[in-house]
Amino acid sequence: MTATLPPGTHASADDPNVLLQDDFDSYEPIPPYPPRTEREAEFYTLGDGEMYLNMGPQHPSTHGVLRVVLKLDGERVVDIDPVLGYLHRGVEKLCENADYHQTISQVDPLEYVSSLFCEWGPVMAYEKLLDVQVPRRAEYIRVLSGELNRIASHALFMGWFALDLGGLTPILWSFIERDEIVEMLAALTGQRMLFNYFRIGGVNGDLNHEFLSRLGDWMSRAVGQIESNTKLLNENEIFVRRASGLGVIDTDMALKYCMTGPNLRATGLPYDIRRAHPYSIYPEIEFDVPTRTEGDSLARYLLRMEEVKQSLRIIDQCLEQMPDGPIMAKLPRLLRPRPGRAWAALEGPRGLYGAYAISDGTDQPFRLKIHDPSFIHLQAVGALLPGHLLADTMAIMASLDPIMGGVDK
Amino acid sequence: MSAVSRTWDQLTLPGKFLAIVVPLLALLTIGLVLVVALFGGAIWDIVLANLPAVRFVVAVTALLLLSPPIAFVIIYMEMKIIALMNLRIGPDRVGPWGTLLSTVHGLKVLMKEDFTPNQADAVVFTWAPVVVFATAILSALVLPFAPGLFGQDLNLGLLYFFAVGGLTVVGLLMGGWSSFNKYSLIGGLRSAAQIVSYEIPLTLSVVGLIILAGTLSLNQIVQQQAGWFLNWFVVRQPLGFLIFLIAATAEANRTPFDLTEADSEIVAGFSTEYSGMRFGFFYFAEYIGVFIISGLTTVLYLGGWNAPFELPHIALTIDVGSFSGWLLAIVAIVPVLGTLILALPFFLFRSKTRWWVALIIGFVLFNVLAGGLVGLWAYISFDWVAGLFWFLGKTFALVFVFVWARGTLPRVRVDQLMSFAWKWLLPAALLNLFATAFAVVVAGV
Amino acid sequence: MDRALKLRLETRFGEQLHGPVRQRHDETEIRIAPADVIEVLRALHDEPELGFVVLADLAGVDTGDTLQVVYHLWSGTTGDWLRVTAEGLPREDPRAPSATFLWKGAEWMERETYDMFGIIFEGNRDLRRIYMPPDYTSFPLRKDFYLADDAARSPGAGVRHMERTHAPTDLVAGSVRRSKA
Repeated sequence: MTATLPPGTHASADDPNVLLQDDFDSYEPIPPYPPRTEREAEFYTLGDGEMYLNMGPQHPSTHGVLRVVLKLDGERVVDIDPVLGYLHRGVEKLCENADYHQTISQVDPLEYVSSLFCEWGPVMAYEKLLDVQVPRRAEYIRVLSGELNRIASHALFMGWFALDLGGLTPILWSFIERDEIVEMLAALTGQRMLFNYFRIGGVNGDLNHEFLSRLGDWMSRAVGQIESNTKLLNENEIFVRRASGLGVIDTDMALKYCMTGPNLRATGLPYDIRRAHPYSIYPEIEFDVPTRTEGDSLARYLLRMEEVKQSLRIIDQCLEQMPDGPIMAKLPRLLRPRPGRAWAALEGPRGLYGAYAISDGTDQPFRLKIHDPSFIHLQAVGALLPGHLLADTMAIMASLDPIMGGVDK
Repeated sequence: MSAVSRTWDQLTLPGKFLAIVVPLLALLTIGLVLVVALFGGAIWDIVLANLPAVRFVVAVTALLLLSPPIAFVIIYMEMKIIALMNLRIGPDRVGPWGTLLSTVHGLKVLMKEDFTPNQADAVVFTWAPVVVFATAILSALVLPFAPGLFGQDLNLGLLYFFAVGGLTVVGLLMGGWSSFNKYSLIGGLRSAAQIVSYEIPLTLSVVGLIILAGTLSLNQIVQQQAGWFLNWFVVRQPLGFLIFLIAATAEANRTPFDLTEADSEIVAGFSTEYSGMRFGFFYFAEYIGVFIISGLTTVLYLGGWNAPFELPHIALTIDVGSFSGWLLAIVAIVPVLGTLILALPFFLFRSKTRWWVALIIGFVLFNVLAGGLVGLWAYISFDWVAGLFWFLGKTFALVFVFVWARGTLPRVRVDQLMSFAWKWLLPAALLNLFATAFAVVVAGV
Repeated sequence: MDRALKLRLETRFGEQLHGPVRQRHDETEIRIAPADVIEVLRALHDEPELGFVVLADLAGVDTGDTLQVVYHLWSGTTGDWLRVTAEGLPREDPRAPSATFLWKGAEWMERETYDMFGIIFEGNRDLRRIYMPPDYTSFPLRKDFYLADDAARSPGAGVRHMERTHAPTDLVAGSVRRSKA
């Protein structure tokens, strides 16, 4: 019993009552359209003996839904074309139709592993638009929770990096680490992952007893635990041989590709926004900016582990120097900043998180642009991979630490 | 007919399964009894006339029947041990401490949809798992599990083992190439390169041992390692042992050389397009391969079925017939008495235990004790029991080492793997060979 | 707020600036025409007293009338962020020069701006859509593009079926397979 079918559908050959949405038999080879740009034409012409391999959006170890089309010559990668957009949620458009406060929860899932930094950028930009002075206690709490989130993010990085190289154990150990931190942050913010904690003018809740007791417990064990977790990898010959000399970036190339964060610092340039363009109360806190010169995957991994130690130092100092006072500035409930533009940038676990907010005098932002470091770093993969083997694809991508939520916005 | 179809519709899936299988089994049993009763003598004469063929059939059947349980045990070991290394719990629910989980996995794999990809080469695709599994079983035919307990005692046992074991690569290539999938292709090619490269250090490292032992027959190699563990070949050929172990890890596609099934790069390698029982075959064959290669290492280097120490030979002569009437009394009274005696402490010292629970505990403990005593008697009286015990113990210790390596080590890259084989293992194996030859010829070892 | 920076920019780029150099908090803002982008960015990047080597962000903005391209730069010589706004791009045919000659990393940022606004960056070797599917025909972040619920009524409506409102009568009768179990 076939009726007139909507366009784009056809009846199944077995049962005319069943409609199929896609014609799988007429699948065209990639790409299904003529090349639109010269780079696409260059990529989609096969040389002699080359083949395309599609590491599709579903793959055990692309960091989220990322599709990478590889041009391979046997096992050697000749070229890559990352295809993004599988996790595109239209956050910026949604923020234009939301209140200033509502945008904070919209922006959380961008880099879901380090949500607090995703919130911090827009919140700082709005505070510049409103000319709001954030109370000191709130700033200290922001730095404290932010550094905890940084440690959690780096712990996940370590596990993920080892998993992509084949080690099954470190990821589970790093999740033990991360679970403790995330439980702490749940005691503080109410949520384990997408915290929605920062508010314009302060933070949502003060430090409470449970958070502080968990933090104290954890801090007393943290250094030893991190040491023992990383020892398995640092002293492992196979791991070191796989990761060293892999995906070498030098400072010129890093600056040309607009890389920031640990990826840039591993090339030798000690550029850390907390020192280069200080914000919040970072000028009052002592910490070092770890730097390495080799610029390969191993250097990036070791650098992030050193950053974890520096974050512990920062947390210590925050706890010591924590002032009393309010945790929120006095602001009206309905926020109507005067028309203007503001940019805020901060140092997240992956690099420079930026937020550009334009206000037109109404209670909704006119434009909120988020700058995400993972998006930038994924570009560099295209320049780093050619010449390496297939097995290094994952290793290099993992060492640059992209989070697809941020890449796709 | 409608009554039958209505009843059939009301059955659940296990019910339908049993409704077919149970009558079929009953029929088969009756048929078997009839055949044996009618033609038993003639069959026995044929068997006696063709003993080697019958021995082969029995050995292969025994191996085929035993390989699922062994694979289940190894799969469970891997899941549990890696979980404990990962600071997790692992299988916990199905059976005591999760021991039945791998059985359940085996059953699940039977129930999955079994399909062939649209554009795959159907014949090759279907036969690939068979080839892999068959070569694994065939190579196990020459392994001596205990004195007298082996498939065949070939003069060329070791050579046969390497020859047939090397045919696994044919199966892996068949599987990788016939699935219409680039990931499988890459996995299959990687595995071919890996297995072929590591065959050479594997066989070369054993040549030193062959020189010392003077024979290729696995049975005789084990017999030469009788006595204290200082007689084991691992003491006389430590470098050979090391090279053999590393090459064996690569042959069995285990971490750190498991890049043929590296699931962070190429999904599942050559077995990406396989599902259901065909994937189960590949999976089984991998774990049987681990068992077999550990068994071979045990046989060659760790003394096979010999105990590490020399036991004085105890001859247990208990003439059961001399007990005459007392035997009945013993068989009647000892279990009851044992149960009561073992139950008493639980009842007396733990007030929570009710009397019947204490009796059950006593009964179980008595069974364990009696079983242990019977096992001890079997160990002393039958040399094959002792041999099997030591062989399995050493083999599973090596399997544990393989599982341990999987939980700890990351994966090597293809070019690092090949360069390691050709530039390091091969010269080391040659060095081992020359040193052994030198020692034998010149120093007269 | 770096007054010295304001002075330096005004002396260096006098006529190319549209309006005064604005400063607020720790940001300095200059506005230029799209045609001057290459010259200004190159000067900012290469000249040692300016030295803006880090491109922090490349954004597109739809002011309602015209489109803009906004660059955020950082330099070691000053404590301020510099915002360069190339403004006045027409809605019908917005074109701007590409910054990929200085920073290869601007390639994807320009792709995103093209995808969301339709601004064509001349000189970008790979200007194709990055988030939306390749056959998408509208530019989502423009102000005259509404969210999917209202997309059918907008002049910027896409042609994909999910952007059309479905009336229930569109579904074919009996097209959903029902099971007897």
